[in-house]
Amino acid sequence: IASIEIPKKQWPELIGCLLNNMTQQDKPAGLKQATLETLGYVCEEISHEDLVQDEVNAVLTAVVQGMNLAEHSSEVRLAAARALYNALDFAQTNFENEMERNYIMKMVCETAISKEVEIRQAAFECLVSIASTYYEKLEPYMQALFELTSNAVKGDEEAVSLQAIEFWSSICDEEIELQEYESTESGDSEPPHSRFIEKALSSLVPMLLETLLKQEEDQDQDDSIWNLSMAGGTCLGLVSRTVGDAIVPLVMPFVEANILKPEWRCREAATYAFGSILEGPSIDKLSPLVHAGLDFLLKAMKDENNHVRDTTAWTLSRIFELLHSPAGGISVISSENIQQILGVLLESINDTPNVAEKICGAIYYLCQGYFEAGQASSVLTPFLTDIITQLIRTADRTDGGDSKLRSSAYETLNEVVRCSYIVDTSPIIEQLLPVIMNKLGQTLELQIVSSDDREKQGDLQASLCGVIQVIIQKLSSTDETRPIILRASDQIMALFLRVFACRSSTVHEEAMLAIGSLAYACGPKFENYMGEFYRYLEMGLQNFEEYQVCSITVGVVGDISRALDDKVLQFCDGIMKHLLNDLGSNELHRSVKPHIFSCFGDIALAIGEHFERYVLYVVQAMQQAAAVCAQLDANDEELMEYGNQLRRSIFEAYSGILQGFKDSKPEVMLPYASHLLQFIEVVFLDRQRDESVTKAAVAVMGDLADALGPNTKLLFRDRAFYIEFLGECLQSDDESIKETATWTQGMIGRVMVS
Amino acid sequence: MAPHDLRRPFKRPAISDQQRRRELSLQRQAQNRLDAQHHARRLASTLLFLQPPQSDPEADPEPDPEIAPEAE
Repeated sequence: IASIEIPKKQWPELIGCLLNNMTQQDKPAGLKQATLETLGYVCEEISHEDLVQDEVNAVLTAVVQGMNLAEHSSEVRLAAARALYNALDFAQTNFENEMERNYIMKMVCETAISKEVEIRQAAFECLVSIASTYYEKLEPYMQALFELTSNAVKGDEEAVSLQAIEFWSSICDEEIELQEYESTESGDSEPPHSRFIEKALSSLVPMLLETLLKQEEDQDQDDSIWNLSMAGGTCLGLVSRTVGDAIVPLVMPFVEANILKPEWRCREAATYAFGSILEGPSIDKLSPLVHAGLDFLLKAMKDENNHVRDTTAWTLSRIFELLHSPAGGISVISSENIQQILGVLLESINDTPNVAEKICGAIYYLCQGYFEAGQASSVLTPFLTDIITQLIRTADRTDGGDSKLRSSAYETLNEVVRCSYIVDTSPIIEQLLPVIMNKLGQTLELQIVSSDDREKQGDLQASLCGVIQVIIQKLSSTDETRPIILRASDQIMALFLRVFACRSSTVHEEAMLAIGSLAYACGPKFENYMGEFYRYLEMGLQNFEEYQVCSITVGVVGDISRALDDKVLQFCDGIMKHLLNDLGSNELHRSVKPHIFSCFGDIALAIGEHFERYVLYVVQAMQQAAAVCAQLDANDEELMEYGNQLRRSIFEAYSGILQGFKDSKPEVMLPYASHLLQFIEVVFLDRQRDESVTKAAVAVMGDLADALGPNTKLLFRDRAFYIEFLGECLQSDDESIKETATWTQGMIGRVMVS
Repeated sequence: MAPHDLRRPFKRPAISDQQRRRELSLQRQAQNRLDAQHHARRLASTLLFLQPPQSDPEADPEPDPEIAPEAE
């Protein structure tokens, strides 16, 4: 209630009343405890700006004093520490003031060594949150915080030591973000980077390495477990990303000392440490180590301990992800060792499900590396049949417990297909298609008696639709292989229609994605399927709740428009009704809306003059959206990105519409030309605009001149900004912007001399 | 209200193939859209080329020889 009423100033006496409970000595501990909980929740819900500063101060004083050991019972102190956690965002002004900040930090640090474990845990939770919220204020406290966290990691209860490690992981998160910011931005307004990790490195790394030896026996099999060694290794990975090369000499002695020890914990910890530092340091630093260690790791896939094999497989996948980039001229894999590597991977994929899943990851990245190298992907061709066979066998395993292994196997299969060198491998992929279709057909025959059965069926269908989509996309990417899809399209479509009838939203999304690719592959032939498919298209467009389904369906409308061209007209009234409804809905996730505008362009280009009956509504929606763009908060990066998408999509829509009308009824767009040009000018004046927006804007300017011809002469003459805009685009480093601007310049030039 | 989830991704390859499928589809659609619009514009350029030059010759883009037959 407070979160609603306080911002509206409708409950001014609440804070005073709550504070009264805390300041009067004779109030019972239970009331103080409940009051602190309430204050914590209220602080979390409202902004500090909703209260006057005196009230904010009084609230924080009450909360922080509630943590005082001398004055309060353990229940009250626990409630106070938890309330402070919720109130940290609220304390912004107080953290700016050195004296107040010192007081809060002193109380939190004292509370972090309380006798009661729950209170210590709550205090460390506060420190974790402070690390990310007030990173730039931490400098004077870091020595004390290092000692506090270090003692907790080494000797406290697990619940507390986990928080202590999380404190350092949060510091890493902050510094990694600062470094990313530094590398993209320049200027003097950069937030301060205190290099805490670098400064603490020589003590921090040994502390984390110690935690790696505290594994649990079966931690890889259970997703609910989070323990010291997992947290420590994860933090080590973040430290590595933060400091780069400097971590290597601190970790390698630990790896070398432990990797051959008889105790499995030592071997696993050594491998985990090695795997954790593969991201961050330079390739030059890592490459010799990985080259020297690869053979050992491949042999360790036969270690007697499952846990060691699991971590080894994970480390291999990290090596292939990070140090296998033939495109960049760097790879640990060569023609000499590829056979051995794939031999080990394809054998170890038969290991226990947890190991097999990591092996899938290794194959995934191995293929991906070759794909980026273009022709070099043919290196994998001789092994492709074996890889595919083993992945399908893995997906068919019944010992996976949940469906994680199966979906990993199918996802890896997708990457294998995507990355294969099509010139060599199309016969193999052609053979794969009926195998997967057959599997999808079998899921439709499964007996469903429980909701669990239904869920499993849905997951499997989603995976199989995903594979089919990837195959369609792959085979339709060349003129030579597209006929394979055309020959199979009747059967594929019949399957998808049966899958839609199962009514699971995940499957709906996957099948829809696949149908978009199929429509692209089929072209005009897709008209044959529209009769039966149309109702599912409508369902997708109306699916506000699962907005991803809606979004993908909008994209499919675009695919179908391009495929059917003017034959799509017969479905357009229905489609346009739904698209306009979607645009007007407050319920639908905003991310779908730019796709809808782009889709208008696709439809208009397909049906040409027949778009006239929708123009009034569509232009109105675009004008409203253009007005929204002008009101977005320029300080909100996410909103600005959305604004860019929206602008680009509006331009795309106008482009499609203008080009669609050009040959028969260009005059339909004449009344809107001035508004469009005005909108382009507003976008031109926005210095934050994205390059893709620039490109769409300069293109639509050309479309306007091209479609409306001499009618736009006066318009352009009155809005001379276009000359400057074209000048800017012609100077661009982006060739496609330059090319589009040249074309637009030609179009406007033609109008101006007319 | 609850403290943030402490668990971070652990020994998991950061694969979301579903997200990748979505993104690749969007990329393909964007490319197809661009091609379709580009096609319409190239027809216009060709027509422009076929007209006698009236303006600054630098303003005229190069014609695309592949498209010329379609414009006839």
